[in-house]
Amino acid sequence: MATIYRFQNARLAGVLLLLCLLSACASTPSLRDTTEQQLPRQSELADVPFYAQTEYQCGPAALAMVLTHQGVDTDVETLIPQVFIPGREGSVQPEMLATVRRHERLALPIRGTFDDLLKHLAAGDPVVVMQNLSLPAFPMWHYAVAIGYNLDDDSITLRSGEIERHTIAFSRFDATWARTDRWGFVVAKPGTLPEGITAHNALTGISAYEELHGPKATLSSWQAMVERYPGHALAQFALGNAYYADEQPDKALSAFQSATRNDPEMGAAWLNIGLLQLQQNQPDAARQALTQAASIEGSWQARAQELLGQR
Amino acid sequence: MKNIRAYLSTLLIAALVITSLPVAAAPAASPSTDLVSTQSVLANDSGLADRERIHQLLNRADIQDELVKQGVDLDEVEARVAALSDAEAQQMANQLEELPAGAGVIGALFAVFVILLVTDILGLTDVYPFTR
Repeated sequence: MATIYRFQNARLAGVLLLLCLLSACASTPSLRDTTEQQLPRQSELADVPFYAQTEYQCGPAALAMVLTHQGVDTDVETLIPQVFIPGREGSVQPEMLATVRRHERLALPIRGTFDDLLKHLAAGDPVVVMQNLSLPAFPMWHYAVAIGYNLDDDSITLRSGEIERHTIAFSRFDATWARTDRWGFVVAKPGTLPEGITAHNALTGISAYEELHGPKATLSSWQAMVERYPGHALAQFALGNAYYADEQPDKALSAFQSATRNDPEMGAAWLNIGLLQLQQNQPDAARQALTQAASIEGSWQARAQELLGQR
Repeated sequence: MKNIRAYLSTLLIAALVITSLPVAAAPAASPSTDLVSTQSVLANDSGLADRERIHQLLNRADIQDELVKQGVDLDEVEARVAALSDAEAQQMANQLEELPAGAGVIGALFAVFVILLVTDILGLTDVYPFTR
């Protein structure tokens, strides 16, 4: 008998070990020292409204929470036909972001680290996170809204499923979040840029907004981005195009010129300067800019050469 | 939906042909002075040629078809697909089946109940709130 018990124990231990290896053991994610020092010990965005999910509707529920928090008049019922896919019994990430934009808000991906997540919460922005609550072999994909944390007991608080304040350990949360490569986003009004959004993610989010709503509606967001990242050539370039669409060619020109100052190799910016100056009947200045554009190898070279040749 | 696709394809093919003509046909005195858009620079930076962008437009019709097949409302499907950025549309077109669909906290299969119960207790998963 004793040997059988011992065998069973060994088998159980083996199964547990295997599970541990398969899912990478849960350990409390360690924060960088600077993060630990800068962040308040605890924070909770209690004013984020709660919408309980019904059936498979965690996507629409999560969106309803962050959108109403940003002043959008909507609810779960309105959002279900906009984001839920009946055949998949769930909602997919690209459509989560796209639906935010339909409600005239920016959807800005966050950097997938635990430090960044907590910083966004401390800065006052609830974060929609995607988790796999189960193991990779039997996935249970889920969207929740992170609203707070407590560094004293290493816990995070979510609006999740049917639970208004779901408080769990950092380690458990991070194990489930890591299974989506720590995917998450924040929502912002156009013309604002939440603290801590990287230049790349701001560019992606604002440009996607522009694709849907046009450059005029996006002008204020580009302004906000340039204010945050004044040295970013592409942001200056985008601002120039938005000013141009808003019929402010002089401001457009100076934004394109800032872009070339920040990145003298940006052919598209030189080309736009030249085109704008051609429109403004300044052929000499235009020729200079187009000559620059024509000298930089890349996709815009041919068009610049063509414009020079035709004049 | 088939009709929309066929119509869109024809339109795009026509657009392609027309836009490739002017080099030869347009009077040399009036080259276009349209500015380079932010999106074409971003697409260019991520290695997308114009041809691929047009391909993405065609993909959108495919995505609409697919979403309707998956039970999405006909009245909504157009606005949903229109709200996707080019990059998102590409993601949807290439891998809609594989994209994880967030559904939430619902009952797990009994077969895996015990395993998940154990991993829940170990703090690896978050399936059964009563384990805490």
